[in-house]
Amino acid sequence: MITFNKISKVYSKESAALHDVSLKIPTGDFVSIVGQSGAGKSTMLKLISAQERPSEGMIVIDGWDITKIRRWQIPHLRRQIGVVFQDFKLLPKRTAFENIAFAMEVGGAPTREVRATVPHILKLVNLAERANAYPDELSGGEKQRIAIARALAYKPQILIADEPTGNLDALHSWDIVQLLIKINKLGTTVLLATHNDEIVNALKKRVVTLNDGKVVSDKKSGTYKL
Amino acid sequence: MIGVSFFRILRAAGNNFLRNVWLSIATTVIMTITLLIVMFLFFANVFGLEVINNIQQKIDLSATFMTEASEEQMSKVVRNMEQRPDVRAVQFVSSDEALKIFRERNIDKPYIEESLAELGKNPLPASMFIVATAPEYYEDIARYLGDDQFGEVIEEVSYEDSRDMIQRLISIISTIKNAGFIITIVFAGLVILIMFNTVRLAIYSFREEIDIMHLVGASRWFIRGPFVIESMLVAILSVIITTGIIYPLLNGIAPELQRYFLEGYAQQEGFNIYAYAVQEWPTVLGLQLAVALGLAIISSLIAIQRYLNS
Repeated sequence: MITFNKISKVYSKESAALHDVSLKIPTGDFVSIVGQSGAGKSTMLKLISAQERPSEGMIVIDGWDITKIRRWQIPHLRRQIGVVFQDFKLLPKRTAFENIAFAMEVGGAPTREVRATVPHILKLVNLAERANAYPDELSGGEKQRIAIARALAYKPQILIADEPTGNLDALHSWDIVQLLIKINKLGTTVLLATHNDEIVNALKKRVVTLNDGKVVSDKKSGTYKL
Repeated sequence: MIGVSFFRILRAAGNNFLRNVWLSIATTVIMTITLLIVMFLFFANVFGLEVINNIQQKIDLSATFMTEASEEQMSKVVRNMEQRPDVRAVQFVSSDEALKIFRERNIDKPYIEESLAELGKNPLPASMFIVATAPEYYEDIARYLGDDQFGEVIEEVSYEDSRDMIQRLISIISTIKNAGFIITIVFAGLVILIMFNTVRLAIYSFREEIDIMHLVGASRWFIRGPFVIESMLVAILSVIITTGIIYPLLNGIAPELQRYFLEGYAQQEGFNIYAYAVQEWPTVLGLQLAVALGLAIISSLIAIQRYLNS
């Protein structure tokens, strides 16, 4: 369960990225966060992964108040949260296999476990045959699937996807969404920040709409409406 | 888990070194130059002190005894001087010995011998030469010998003649030590700046990787470790290269240095800078390792801090 309790995030006096946001996301939920650019979607996701700290309020993840998380605790939190970005953030000098293995190694997984798990994850994202390809040799959709595979490497409870289809064509976008649905069905909470109305409408999942840093709508089976 | 992580940090350090091989080479070169400067200052200091020590030993104070002074009186003064803590050595030269030395020095001048024969007696007085433990003590010793209690035994103290030279030497020694210290500090400062920027450049090229390490939950030591170990690898490599340069170099220049600076200083003829470096190899190696590893670890820790806070 992720709980946002009266969360505000102020970057400067003139603009508040989030203002008094309260929200509960049960474990295993699939939530689309929509809103115009600057509405606060990315800030919300950054607060969950402790890339940012709230100015006011409290964030609790599975009973852990991460509002005043200590610096040395952040790696532990991030190993429970997979993150996927629009620009993939893959290591260019490492193969697809190595990019996924890297995340596991960073988390301290034994080598034997890394060797056994990575092929399974590659299979899950339908890229088993591209294990030895470097990011330069992969298409945009493939890169994003590798990024998702990396996020899944240490079996996170939460997967955060910040505009994962922003750089992809419609076909590849649907591939990624299907993959996110599959991951969600395996029990992972998925938070998807997107501009893509077609995807949001087709998902028929919970939709949280942000406007000027405030939650203006939160519907269990919502549609994309700004 | 800790063992696995440590092995991975080591492997990452090795990979970092090889992936950025040109930057690694550049860092190694800078570090090697740094060590060469430090070693130059170290050996210049050792050799300089040796030369100064030799000059100090060459300077002495001489006292001429009255021709009427008895042997017992002179021996008493000599013993008195030998007991002083600020006196390193006292050499007594009797009237006969002085004459013998005088004749030997002027053996090619027959008119000297003729003059001595004409005089009919030994005109040279007995004297003593005093070497102090440090140049600054000569003034005290000279004052002591000029005291009334020695008025009937000592005719003249020749310190006055060399006072200027002794004072100048004290001033030169002090200046050399201060200048050496300042030069070392300035160089150390420059070297830290250069090293820091070189390491920062190396880390900058890995900023993307560091960013991703943050996102996938790498601990601060897991991120920091490879860069610190890579810097240590560069440091050790630089120590090996520097050692490979300085020993043959010292072996080559030691005879020249000895000939140029220490010629004529019979008491220290045996000093050879190469032999010193071989004999003192733990100090030489220890100094290099301390400087190289210290610089490498400090520079990399400071340089990576910025990325750890991002």
